[in-house]
Amino acid sequence: MATAQPLPYRRVYVWEFPVRLFHWVNATGIFLLIITGFLIGNPQVLFRSNEAYQQYWFGWVRFTHFASAYIVFFNFLFRVYWGFVGNQFARWSSFFPVNKEQFLDMWETVRIDILQLKLKGKISIGHNYLASLTYIGLFILFLFEVFSGFALYSSMSGSFIPKLFTWMVPLMGGDANVRIWHHMVMWAFVLFTIIHVYLTFYHDYVEGRGDMSSMLGGWKFEKDKDLNR
Amino acid sequence: MTRIVVDPVTRIEGHLRIEAVVEGGKITDAFSAGTMVRGIEKILKGRDPRDAWAFVERVCGVCTTVHALASVRTVEDAIGISVPKNAELVRNLMFCTQFIQDHVIHFYHLHALDWVDVVSALSADPEETSKIARTLSNWPKTSPGYFSDLQKRLKAFVDSGQLGIFANGYWGHPAFKLPKEVNLIGVAHYLEALEWQKEVVKIHTIFGGKNPHPNYLVGGVPCSFNLEEVNAINTEKLNFVAKLINDAVDFVEKVYIPDLMAIAGFYKDWAAIGGGLSNYLAYGDLPTKGYAYPEYFKFQRGAILDRDLTRVYDVNGKDENEIKEYIAHSWYKYEGGDTVGLHPWKGETEFNFTGPQPPYEQLNVEGKYSWLKTPRWKDNPMEVGPLARLLVGYGKGNAEIKEVVDEALKKLDVPVTALFSTLGRTAARGLETRLIARWIQEFFKELQDNLKSGEMKTHNGEKWDPSTWPAECEGVGLSEAPRGALAHWIKIKDKKIENYQLVVPSTWNASPRDVNGKRSAYEEALIGTPVAKEGEPLEIIRTIHSFDPCLACAVH
Amino acid sequence: MEKNVPSIWKAMEAKGYSRREFMYFCGVAVAAAGIQSSAFGQVVEAFEKKARPPVVWLHFQECTCCSESFIRSSHPIVADIIFDTLSLDYTETLQAASGAQAEKCLQDTMKNNKGKYILLVEGSVPMLNGGSCCTIGGRSALEILKEAAADAAAVIAWGSCASHGCIQAAKPNPTGATPIHELVNRPVINVPGCPPIAEVMTGVVTHVLLYGKIPELDSQGRPKEFYSRRVHDTCYRRPYYDAGLFVESWDDDAARKGYCLYKMGCRGPVTYNACSVTKWNGNLSYPIQSGHGCIGCSEAEFWDNGPFYQHLSSFPGFGIESTADTIGATAAGVTVGAVALHAISSNIRKRKIIQGNMEESVSPNKPDHEIVEEVPENGGDQS
Ligand code: HEM
Ligand code: HEM
Ligand code: NFV
Ligand code: SF4
Ligand code: SF4
Ligand code: F3S
Ligand SMILES: [Mg+2]
Repeated sequence: MATAQPLPYRRVYVWEFPVRLFHWVNATGIFLLIITGFLIGNPQVLFRSNEAYQQYWFGWVRFTHFASAYIVFFNFLFRVYWGFVGNQFARWSSFFPVNKEQFLDMWETVRIDILQLKLKGKISIGHNYLASLTYIGLFILFLFEVFSGFALYSSMSGSFIPKLFTWMVPLMGGDANVRIWHHMVMWAFVLFTIIHVYLTFYHDYVEGRGDMSSMLGGWKFEKDKDLNR
Repeated sequence: MTRIVVDPVTRIEGHLRIEAVVEGGKITDAFSAGTMVRGIEKILKGRDPRDAWAFVERVCGVCTTVHALASVRTVEDAIGISVPKNAELVRNLMFCTQFIQDHVIHFYHLHALDWVDVVSALSADPEETSKIARTLSNWPKTSPGYFSDLQKRLKAFVDSGQLGIFANGYWGHPAFKLPKEVNLIGVAHYLEALEWQKEVVKIHTIFGGKNPHPNYLVGGVPCSFNLEEVNAINTEKLNFVAKLINDAVDFVEKVYIPDLMAIAGFYKDWAAIGGGLSNYLAYGDLPTKGYAYPEYFKFQRGAILDRDLTRVYDVNGKDENEIKEYIAHSWYKYEGGDTVGLHPWKGETEFNFTGPQPPYEQLNVEGKYSWLKTPRWKDNPMEVGPLARLLVGYGKGNAEIKEVVDEALKKLDVPVTALFSTLGRTAARGLETRLIARWIQEFFKELQDNLKSGEMKTHNGEKWDPSTWPAECEGVGLSEAPRGALAHWIKIKDKKIENYQLVVPSTWNASPRDVNGKRSAYEEALIGTPVAKEGEPLEIIRTIHSFDPCLACAVH
Repeated sequence: MEKNVPSIWKAMEAKGYSRREFMYFCGVAVAAAGIQSSAFGQVVEAFEKKARPPVVWLHFQECTCCSESFIRSSHPIVADIIFDTLSLDYTETLQAASGAQAEKCLQDTMKNNKGKYILLVEGSVPMLNGGSCCTIGGRSALEILKEAAADAAAVIAWGSCASHGCIQAAKPNPTGATPIHELVNRPVINVPGCPPIAEVMTGVVTHVLLYGKIPELDSQGRPKEFYSRRVHDTCYRRPYYDAGLFVESWDDDAARKGYCLYKMGCRGPVTYNACSVTKWNGNLSYPIQSGHGCIGCSEAEFWDNGPFYQHLSSFPGFGIESTADTIGATAAGVTVGAVALHAISSNIRKRKIIQGNMEESVSPNKPDHEIVEEVPENGGDQS
């Protein structure tokens, strides 16, 4: 009766604490940046009966945007560093498909998860290469938001950090263009978030490996046979 | 027979070239060419009609605002809205301000050096000058000391050897006729007008934020009135406007008009020179009951043919048979070929430069020779401008216009026909400035009465949102600019500008001849103009300046 | 000739100013420019000695509103500039001479003052068809510009036309309008604005004359003295912006209280100009103060950043009211739809897998399947 049945799944510690911390700081920060950024672009009518000296809500929205901007920026720098020292799943090498096998892996993922032409296939423990490629894309867009954001911010800040990015302005033909693109690219983050969160659910639902919770606890659940490859 | 080329014609706006044929000391043929183009009609295509005013305002910084006004009217006409009374009044105040400033600048800074010999002023007697000045008006700055200080300043300037803007002028030319003292008064008022003009435009700054190029708005005006608020047009701002109006009226009545009359008295020979065309066109402006009711405009609408003041024809900007533009001698091409004329709603703007490559000595006047198109009213060449406005008003029996015109004619002791001339054109500009200086006071009073009654509205937002517009519509904005009849035509499709055409006062006057070889106003007016010294085109620029050319406008 | 040239002091003396007033004037000039008082002596010297420097003002593709703005200057007033400060030797708008006589003024000035005259340029240069879109005296704008710029002491580009190309360079730029800094091989002081503020124009010129050097320029060649701040940074409506109090429609209650014009499309937050500090026409007002948003007239390409009444400009090719938001929201809608379809499809296509997972899973209700926590030796740490 008390004989324990060995389960076909084993726990794998995939996302180290620093990666998880990065993820949630980043997710929260970007979420705030989207909300506040959207409000900056489309301010709502609030508290109309007050006078200007009684309220500062729009100022706080902007403050939140700028504060989040600094946080996600340094958070990102930290993640860049961790990509060199973290575990195999955190390493930069796990982000870039380089050999044919890895490109095939990517195509495999497209066939199985996106187009659903194939029902089942290889399981990846960390990121699959399709996911990691979108993260790379996201990181590039993120850098664009940082560059353009700080370039815009440079005219309202005395700090040296924003001033490092002022060269963006003439390059893009003036503040107005920088702002338009800064705003436009926000939508890329909205799209990413929708797809990303959905796909996490999807993986968890279809594969049952605890994808959702892995970004909280770090653990994923893998079958022995998948681990013993 | 010699060919005289005057390029650049200076003290105008823009790039004008005149080629004149002189025979026996008189001009027998003339060609007027605009030598700069920007293509603003092409740039407007596909844009938001509500933005158009800002684009077309940049057609010209000298007659700034008038294109903006024509544009908002054009769009309002197309989408079918009218503006609140206060907006109409503010627009009128800005209109009047523009005319007063532009006309004074023209008289003193663009035109006066054709009549006033600055060098001769150096030897004027300040005492005598003062005496003459005091007979002209009770303007305060007329003491002998004032004139002698000015003369000293002028002398020091000339002694410096750096003549600046006065270098190489036609000083000592036999066509200068003013006594030394009157020349000195002219120089004094040149400087005073230069300082004064920057004040009167502050009316634009108050209602439109800046000058040149104040702000306009489709559906009304952007400024708001609030007599209980420091952040809007309030009592203080209105008091400022009142002061600026008073000072402007003073300057016009005590400086401009007396100077004009005094100078005109010495140049009556020019009442027989430079008459040119005998047809006149005015669209009218300064609505008092809305743009839709031209019969209540201060300046009337109409056309005169063959100088027959007893008959004023109706003018309809929407009738596709009335106003057309030709390009027989213009650097453009039409789909239908070089001989057709197009109503502006069907207008085309396609470059087709066929002239000589720069640098060049002479234009090929047999072919195309200008960047201006050639507008015609019922295929007639028409003169537009202050003279046309006064004649149309005079012909229609407008009492106010008749009064100032007759008074001036009597003072100068010349017949009505003297108006058809270079001098008449220059005088008409001054006379209408007098009228406008009266009207601006009326408009301001009406505005204050409105505010007193609690009427604050300055914008009609009914159709601000383009989704309320029909899929396709078209409009025309007929108006008057300082240089004459101005109109814009628009076609709107899917909320965007499908076609936008401007036919501008200086386009009427400065255009090359039409497909039938008929000359436009500048060219015609030069015929018969005497030229005393072929190397010094003073008489040519006199007549040309009497039209107050604006080539940036004319070509756009 | 040099000897006859009156200095600024001489000119003031001639106008009846006392020496004391002159020294006071120099002091004000020093203070206004924010230069150290130790430089006071130099300034006095400059005013005392300098002849009126020769100036050539060229007009190309423009509307003359820069000239018009210039003559609105209230400090200094333009009559004093023309008589006492500069020698405006060539300027089509004001000069007495026309035609050949006018062109002689230009040639003489360039010849007699090689390397010493200041070149002011109003308007852009059309490059289409060998310059036939703008000729003066039969010569192309480009030829005249190159010649005049070659020996000028300093080149100043007036207004957005000369600095950026302005309206004629707006899409589709039918004449190939080009700003002058792209055409001359030397530094150009850009004084953008459509037009620039009068006192900024005279300020830039006097800066060069009084302090004998070009004002400090930013990366776009604009004098920092006037273009280092956004209209928005010092806008008197800024408190309303920070408080989130906006005009929602023209002449509404908020407009009559002077709330922020951001939602009416104000470009103040993206426009570098002195409007909200120096203001217009003798410090009187500026576009925003009259109730209309800034249209960004001192910024490069501002004409193509419209429509003016939208906070964000339209995206080319997407129709007039399409902004980043309409495009983005559409994309988001499509994405959500795709996600929903994908979810449905997953439930159908992957039904078997999901069912397999169910069957594979242990049920806590079956008594024979007791779940036992297996404690690995290494305490659960993955290596
Ligand atoms: C994923 C990251 C980001 C997103 C999605 C985002 C989004 C936005 C959006 C939508 C706007 C409104 C633009 C408009 O309509 O005018 C905005 C404005 C702005 N953002 Fe960001 N942003 C991000 C990152 C940053 C960063 C890193 C900075 C750096 C400081 C920054 C600085 C700014 C500034 C200065 C503004 C203009 C605010 C103002 O002028 O008041 N943003 N952002
Ligand atoms: C409820 C919200 C979210 C959940 C449950 C979630 C979950 C996850 C999971 C499970 C992974 C690992 C996926 C993989 O195997 O490749 C991941 C990675 C990642 N997620 Fe999210 N995510 C959420 C929101 C966001 C948001 C809003 C962003 C940013 C816009 C974001 C950005 C990322 C990035 C950049 C990675 C890669 C992390 C790395 O390798 O450092 N996530 N997320
Ligand atoms: N419209 C217009 Fe014009 C013209 N022609 C007007 O007075 O000058 Ni620039
Ligand atoms: S910059 Fe603007 S204002 Fe100046 S000339 Fe050009 S269009 Fe006119
Ligand atoms: S009105 Fe314009 S410049 Fe002024 S605070 Fe508002 S957005 Fe900024
Ligand atoms: S439109 Fe131009 S005038 Fe100033 S406030 Fe804006 S920069
Ligand atoms: Mg036209």
